[in-house]
Amino acid sequence: MGDREARDLLQAFQAGKISRRELIAKATVLGLSLSVLGGFGLRSASAAAMTDVKIGVDLPMSGGEAPNGVPTNNGVLMAIDEANKAGGSYNFSESLKDDAVNGVHDPAQGAKNVQELIADTSVVGIVGNFNSNVAQASIPITNAAGIVQISPSQTNPTLTKPPAALQLRKANPTKINYFRVCATDDLQGPVAADYMFRKLGVKKLAILDDQETYGKGIADQVEMEFKKIGGTVVSHDGIPKGTQDFHAILTKIKSESPDALFFGGVTTTGGGLIRKQMPDVGMTAIKYMGGDGIVEDEFLKVGGDAAANSYGTVAAIDATKVPAAGAFLSSYKAKYNDDPGAYSANAYVCANLIIAAVKAVGPDREKVRAWVAGQKAYASILGTFGFDANGDTTNRIISVYKVESGKWTWVDQVNFGA
Amino acid sequence: MNWVLLVQQLINGLSLGAIYAVIALGYTMVYGIVELINFAHGDVYTAGSFVALALLTGLGVTGHSAAAGIVFALIVAFLLTMLIMGTTGVVIERFAYRPLRGKPRLAPLLTAIGVSFSIENLLQIWYGPSPVPFPQLVPNPFFALGQISVGQMQLVVIFSSLIMMLALHFFVQGTKLGKAMRATAQDWMAAEIMGIDINKTIALTFFIGSLLAGAAGVITGLYYGNVWFINGFRAGLIAFTAAVLGGIGNTTGAALGGFVIGFVEVMTAQYVGFQWAEVTIFSVLILVLVFRPTGILGQQLSERA
Repeated sequence: MGDREARDLLQAFQAGKISRRELIAKATVLGLSLSVLGGFGLRSASAAAMTDVKIGVDLPMSGGEAPNGVPTNNGVLMAIDEANKAGGSYNFSESLKDDAVNGVHDPAQGAKNVQELIADTSVVGIVGNFNSNVAQASIPITNAAGIVQISPSQTNPTLTKPPAALQLRKANPTKINYFRVCATDDLQGPVAADYMFRKLGVKKLAILDDQETYGKGIADQVEMEFKKIGGTVVSHDGIPKGTQDFHAILTKIKSESPDALFFGGVTTTGGGLIRKQMPDVGMTAIKYMGGDGIVEDEFLKVGGDAAANSYGTVAAIDATKVPAAGAFLSSYKAKYNDDPGAYSANAYVCANLIIAAVKAVGPDREKVRAWVAGQKAYASILGTFGFDANGDTTNRIISVYKVESGKWTWVDQVNFGA
Repeated sequence: MNWVLLVQQLINGLSLGAIYAVIALGYTMVYGIVELINFAHGDVYTAGSFVALALLTGLGVTGHSAAAGIVFALIVAFLLTMLIMGTTGVVIERFAYRPLRGKPRLAPLLTAIGVSFSIENLLQIWYGPSPVPFPQLVPNPFFALGQISVGQMQLVVIFSSLIMMLALHFFVQGTKLGKAMRATAQDWMAAEIMGIDINKTIALTFFIGSLLAGAAGVITGLYYGNVWFINGFRAGLIAFTAAVLGGIGNTTGAALGGFVIGFVEVMTAQYVGFQWAEVTIFSVLILVLVFRPTGILGQQLSERA
């Protein structure tokens, strides 16, 4: 670029169009501007020496799932932001995919997203997914590709625990690639059952589930535990997909006189509408509890006034209860002007695991996977934890929340941890 | 035998079936007159809910507004929604179905499916992919009749649906336009020879059917307090099943079919298990069609010489 200008200047001088003084002045200006630009050019050339490393993210980001996916993704973004600010030879960024179709998480979309992430060679690891049934579609794919997949929130036990999980990692059974930083429903379900039995005085329990992997899974866990500790399960029904009118099933449940109703599933698959229609059939005295699928703002919106005094569990520690998480909380609030979601801290840790792996062993998928698999005492804002042979975290804390004054408020925590 | 429970569930079945019946009317009337399964009808019902939502939000009424204001807003919402959805039905017929009249039956069928998807996606673009709260304008106290409790909204649903069904019946049986509709459904060529404007009559059928669907949409919006763009898919499927069950083309049959399905759904939830509800509904349909292919009350289609 500078050559042409310089030649033009020279030609103009030689043709007598500009004086010598003008030539020197213009040449100096040209030279200075070129060196400044060249300086920038050199800097971007050295920035190009930084390796671009992408963290693939697959979460439900739209519609009814956005209150779940967006805060979770914010956790990932914060981790990436901090890593880039800290400098180093890697330039981290995320490649974000949305697995919500028509506002509901979709396993087929999740599988497609994961394949697209794998096809992108700059993606060294994946944070995701959010819902357990999406994992069942995506783990076989990521396992075959040998890329690490860390979930902040998938709680169904069959994703990691044999014998069911062995089917998912058939391609590379010895190279575990799926990990999660949250506890599982075989802990979350029993915590809900115990809480209802011991703390809420529930002796007779009715159960409803949405017949999906997560919903049915956690409902079954609750049923098993509740019976084990001496309670009575009066009924356990499933909901046909797309049901809007629950008056019939609620009337039936009311006639069984339970002390509480447990719902396995998420807000959009019925958790919210069921709670809303409970007063319609006169079930105001009956308590309502669900898993982490209903601990979200969407539930409060759909349930309206009826949502009050609902209980829910979350397979994660509440970040406000961990001293080390203080900095994370204030940064999150400052950046997003909102409280973190139930799984924001978890996603932050997931992303940081991948970042730490890359910094330790480089942006190679297999090395990253092996590094993550080998973690036994990783220090994070969720405490110090490791992964067991199945990819489950050794950090097993379940939090209990209640809807008070129109918000999900923390009320208790149970630690099964090592 | 817990009679109280049975009666309670029958009431639930009535309110559930009433909605299915009103939507089924639209399906059956259209099929009776042009032999087309209007798959978009369920989505017209859902669109009615959203149009009403937009109107009520625009009028700014909430559950806490003054009673007179609520009544006024509801009247406006009902009338306008019915008018808008009726017109939508006519527009759909004019541009999507009429050009294909007389063509092989598959063409308008596919078009109907296309219109259905288009409406669903338009609603999704309009109000987003997640369920949207609908203003709860009608207080819902419970009346105790002995040991049985009935909600006010349930009664509203049942009675407004019955009124609509009766109004339709009187229109079709007692007015000249209704007679034109029956004549066209029976034999459109003869009707045309007798001086009936077929196009207008068919348009009128779509208008009335969609108007009713729109009204049903407003009612369910008020009842459930929640509208979701995808509702029309299931509602349409069930309502169509109701129409076939009762005898396609037969408006009394559609109403009956709607209530039968409502009862089947509720009784299955109570005595078998809610997860079996849809299996039972469609098994009933299959059984009825196997033993009585024309539906419970018999079909009412055009007579072919």
